[in-house]
Amino acid sequence: MNSFSLADCTTVEAALSQLKNGAVVKAGGVDLLDRMKNGTDTPNRLVNIRNIRELRGIQSTPDGVTIGALTTLAEIADDPTIRAQYTILSDACGHAATPHIRNMATIGGNVLQELQCWYFRSAEFQCIRKGKEQCFAFSGLNQYHAIMDYGGCPSVAPSSSAVALLALNATIELTSAAKGKRKVAIQNFYVQPDANPHRFNVKADEELLTAIHIPKPAPGTRSAYQKYGEKESHDWAIADAGILLEMDGDICRRAVVTMGAASPVVRRSKEAEAVLTGKPITRDTARAAGKASMTGAMPLSMNGYKVQLFPIAIYRTILLAAGQMERDPSAAG
Amino acid sequence: MATHTPHSTLDALINVAGDTTDASMKTAKMPIGIPGFTLHEEERTVPASEPPVWPINKDLSYVGKPQERWDGRAKATGRARYTADVQLPGMLYARFVNSTVPHARVLSIDTSAAESYPGVKSVHVIEKLLGGAVLRDPTLEQNRYPIVRYVGQPIAAVAATTPQAAEDAAAKIKVKYETLPFVVDMDQAREKDSPQVFPGAADQAGTAGGGGSSASGVPQTGNVHGPAVHKQGDVEQGFKDADVIVDAHYTTQVQTHSALETHGVVADWKPDLLTVYASTQGTASVREELAAYFQLPMSKVRVITEFMGGGFGAKFGAGNPGVVAATLSRKAGAPVRLMLDRQEEHLSVGNRPSSDQRLRIGAKKDGTITAIQLISFGTAGCGTGAGCAGPASNLYKWATLHVEENDVFINAGPAAAFRAPGHPQGAFALEQSIDELAASLNMDLLDLRDRIDENPVRRVQRQIIRESAIWKSRNPRANADVGPIKRGIGLSQSVWYRHLAMDSAAEVRVHKDGSVEVLSAVQDIGSGIKTVLAQILAEQFGVPPAQVEVKIGDTNYPVGPNSGGSVTTASLTPAVRDAAWQAAQKFLASVAPALGVKASDLTLTDGMVRSASGKFQPIAFRSAAARMDTNQVSAQSRRIPDYDPRKYDTYGGVDVAEVAVDTETGRIHVKHVLAVHDCGRPMNPVAVISQINGGVIQGISYTLFEHRLLDPNYGIMVNSNLDKYKIAGSYEVPKIEVQLTESYIGQSSTDASGIGEAAGIISAGAAIANAFYNATGVRIRQMPMTPAVVLAALNQPKPQMEAL
Amino acid sequence: MSDHQPPHRELPETSSTTGNKGITRRGFLKGAGITAAGTALLDGVQSLQQEAQAATPKGVMEYGAEAFPVTLNINGKEHALHVETRTMLAEALRIGLGMTGTKISCDRGACSSCTVWLDKLPVNSCMTLAVDAIGHRVTTIEGLSTDSEVHPVQAAFVRHDAMQCGFCTPGMVMSCAALIERNPHPTERDVRVAISGNLCRCGTYPKVFAATLDAAGQHATKA
Repeated sequence: MNSFSLADCTTVEAALSQLKNGAVVKAGGVDLLDRMKNGTDTPNRLVNIRNIRELRGIQSTPDGVTIGALTTLAEIADDPTIRAQYTILSDACGHAATPHIRNMATIGGNVLQELQCWYFRSAEFQCIRKGKEQCFAFSGLNQYHAIMDYGGCPSVAPSSSAVALLALNATIELTSAAKGKRKVAIQNFYVQPDANPHRFNVKADEELLTAIHIPKPAPGTRSAYQKYGEKESHDWAIADAGILLEMDGDICRRAVVTMGAASPVVRRSKEAEAVLTGKPITRDTARAAGKASMTGAMPLSMNGYKVQLFPIAIYRTILLAAGQMERDPSAAG
Repeated sequence: MATHTPHSTLDALINVAGDTTDASMKTAKMPIGIPGFTLHEEERTVPASEPPVWPINKDLSYVGKPQERWDGRAKATGRARYTADVQLPGMLYARFVNSTVPHARVLSIDTSAAESYPGVKSVHVIEKLLGGAVLRDPTLEQNRYPIVRYVGQPIAAVAATTPQAAEDAAAKIKVKYETLPFVVDMDQAREKDSPQVFPGAADQAGTAGGGGSSASGVPQTGNVHGPAVHKQGDVEQGFKDADVIVDAHYTTQVQTHSALETHGVVADWKPDLLTVYASTQGTASVREELAAYFQLPMSKVRVITEFMGGGFGAKFGAGNPGVVAATLSRKAGAPVRLMLDRQEEHLSVGNRPSSDQRLRIGAKKDGTITAIQLISFGTAGCGTGAGCAGPASNLYKWATLHVEENDVFINAGPAAAFRAPGHPQGAFALEQSIDELAASLNMDLLDLRDRIDENPVRRVQRQIIRESAIWKSRNPRANADVGPIKRGIGLSQSVWYRHLAMDSAAEVRVHKDGSVEVLSAVQDIGSGIKTVLAQILAEQFGVPPAQVEVKIGDTNYPVGPNSGGSVTTASLTPAVRDAAWQAAQKFLASVAPALGVKASDLTLTDGMVRSASGKFQPIAFRSAAARMDTNQVSAQSRRIPDYDPRKYDTYGGVDVAEVAVDTETGRIHVKHVLAVHDCGRPMNPVAVISQINGGVIQGISYTLFEHRLLDPNYGIMVNSNLDKYKIAGSYEVPKIEVQLTESYIGQSSTDASGIGEAAGIISAGAAIANAFYNATGVRIRQMPMTPAVVLAALNQPKPQMEAL
Repeated sequence: MSDHQPPHRELPETSSTTGNKGITRRGFLKGAGITAAGTALLDGVQSLQQEAQAATPKGVMEYGAEAFPVTLNINGKEHALHVETRTMLAEALRIGLGMTGTKISCDRGACSSCTVWLDKLPVNSCMTLAVDAIGHRVTTIEGLSTDSEVHPVQAAFVRHDAMQCGFCTPGMVMSCAALIERNPHPTERDVRVAISGNLCRCGTYPKVFAATLDAAGQHATKA
């Protein structure tokens, strides 16, 4: 890893004043230090926000909940309010990475996590997402890559929490010294690779992700998230599903179906949602929704299995959310 | 049947027991067989100097009894000092510069910026590379620097005062390459017009622990080094004689050892002595290689391995890290630490070769095997050693055999011995085909094996399986469950060999204060040999094992075996017992004058010195020691040949696996394993069970998850870490039941054998595959069995598959 | 070994947002980010170093790219050493302080051989900057035992042979000890969860499960 100077900040204001001249923000450090150790990122200066106390914690508001950007995944997963009312988020945070990493990694860092594509993570491959022209995955090893919406980069969305936050209609709060706070709906937060292959999200370099607001779920809401890997202990998702169901008695008034490991940006499956809306949740409707989620799938040379796996992940997670199935032993533990 | 061991390199390292030559012999009645099944006595002719025969374990005090690990507390408290924990005054930190391209001629290396970098004390450019195959005709390649044959090949190294300075300086070394065409896909490498890894025929000498190929001088066509052919009888006639033939194709992937402690050394070159702390499975092998490489007398090289963090076959010899660290130390005049990082560990210091096997078995209606034919290809990167015919050759009785083993060179790091080299691959194919054979003969799986397997221990093991709850719960009808999660149970057998490292010696000392110690250069690679040595002395002197001083892992002590091929316990323990026995006799002679008797009147049993003539009441060992006429007596002993090497049996085990196959997600969950295994006399059953648990889990990990992935277009390993190179973790661990078949063969004063290789990893793949068949009615002949592979197998047209 | 008391137990506990099962969590919003003791420590260190490096804006502690002195609270004691900003806590412990019980294996947070506790929470010290440990209480494997006493988890690991080569063992012990410190009555499932990031290449997991459950039993009766 290269050497760098570090501004250890204890207030948001102080941190914002340091965001200049290519300085890079570090919070928990899990993702950034991995890239720096790999030699893909070589910042000369870090702005350490880890010790900004005002950015840490979960606060209930009349409209929902506000989560400070530095709140760790473990804190979110274990929070009784999140568990009870935002189960999907507690599931997603509680099944990311390892217990130790969940003690270190922050929700802000998880939302901002960069791609896990092995070409992107290797200093030897100068790919389209690093400002060059080429993608190495299409003609290379792509078993864990995207099956939908990939355009010029089939790396998949790496953030588990974003799959939940998309389903929950969360808003990302960004703060800068010049413009103060602005709020971006999560569905507008990430940038599709074809729109701009060099940007992952709309956060500007001089902005800090300071908080995440989640609206209060409608009455009758049930939700769940499950992540499928090749193994249950510490693995990256090969398929994951976020399900949010607004129930009116037996009838699903509104359904949200989100997916992470299918595409470069976390996505909603309107097709799957349409299958569920206005119907009771049964094994049949859940299966049909799973099947519908693959509309438009275009698997690469090595990841056709995902087209079979995602519908099952979605089907089983719908039933989990509806209370009709236990947590899947084939999903991450 | 004749025993064909395909990797005779192991034998080159480890002499197979020869004939007894000692003139002065005696006869001894020894326990033979398995208690509760086949136990009886047989007479052996043994050297007169041998200690009395030990009874079976239940009649011993310390040996064979569960014993806490001698160094357990040091490990649990973090005080155990591993190689990377060694800190010497003025020690420097070294980093390699590695190739970033898979095949190239190095034109120039500019080290000037590194040399002048602050904190740098020495820089070394490698001109002689260790590892991998070498050209038969070295004149085919003329270059100052070694030809680069894989990404990650070490090229140069830097030693500096801090790890950061070494890393920074290494990054400043500029290497100019003339890149050459390369190939990293084995199937492509077999094609006629493939790029060539070597410009001519190349061979690799066997490495310690069974890596490398036995066969030099075999034909080489393009990248295909082979076949090494082994034939017995007319196999075509054998197939003509068969009533049934099973014929199948199997593939397995490359696995990396991934020991948690990477390869590395701390080398301290002083004018009078080169001291090397090494993470190694063979202090002797490291000393030998360093002495040869630097042309130093063996007496001027000392190798120390107090603790080592896993090797699994990859850690023999000094290797490039050893010789480079020693060179940097000599140049800098200071000790140098060179530990590989995780990426280097995946790339440059060994792996288990892949396999592509076509296996045909012909049999009579009664199961008798008339013919086995195995044609295998496998890649050991730019090395050799991909043979996998051991199980097909040695597990069952056959009338005719035809084996062809081929190594396929690719531009990847050379393989190394890996826990039962070749056998997990070979058993994966053989034991599935035997199950298929049983099905086509309409025979019970165990009955067929009873008919064709002559090993007496496995016969008992199958009996245990037959009577086990798990096997009784097996539904012989495949694909019996209706839901998406299907349960299945399968089994596989394993075979390993009685290799011995005859160069195994130890010294035992008895001190006047009653303390006893054992010294040997042997290293404890985690199997627990320290504890076993303490138990042997405890048994002899009647002191608790925890109070025995065990000094090992240092070439200053008597030479020890290299720990590969399950040789350590079988080889060293008789030498230690003999030394302990002889030291005890010297001890008795030393106290006899003070006790007023002749030494021949004294015995030492159960910690008491006794007078045969009844001259005095028994005296405790420690009290008697106080009356020694010297401060210390000692005896050194080395391994003598097996008592009756003609009575040679292989070792083995039978493993049963229960799986739950999620037919919708393609996940295989191993729920339960029953592992029935043989390691001769179990010295410390606790540690034996630990090793078997480990073999089973490593086998599950290999079968389901692990896969070295090389990008086909750039030759770079894309998962050279421990998150995308996937290793079984806590959730993947099934319930494991271990049953030891305590088996006496009357071969040495301890009659112990090894367990490392046979312990589960050989049979896990086939047991899981056979259980998968039982669950689904589908054969899965490819590893690793990831969801992609499983779903593809299940997607083959099959009436009973549910629609999505 | 029965009346083992890790030194940090005497320190004040933090407030808890969740409050369940006696778990002490670092807390959050509005100020309870670190312990009283930790806060004092942080302020002390900062004021010391701010004296040395003047002219930094308010709320910013500036660290240059060259090595600099720091004080870390490890196993209840203050330790002075030099680090760079890029020095990982694992390296600072191992090389800077000679505390080599903490191992580095994958160097990416994927194997947890490097597990230490930061304010009682198990974390990967290979992915934690040494400067991020300033003002926090670090507990390493060395802090879990004394010459005469070992933690119940360590004793149980020895009794159950929950180790082979031993390289993963300090990390395993730290993960399992953290588990029973916060959950005195874990199930086997809880143990699996707690070590789901700890890799053991020798495959010693079954005995780690057994040892931890056994230690928890002992722990519970003695608490």
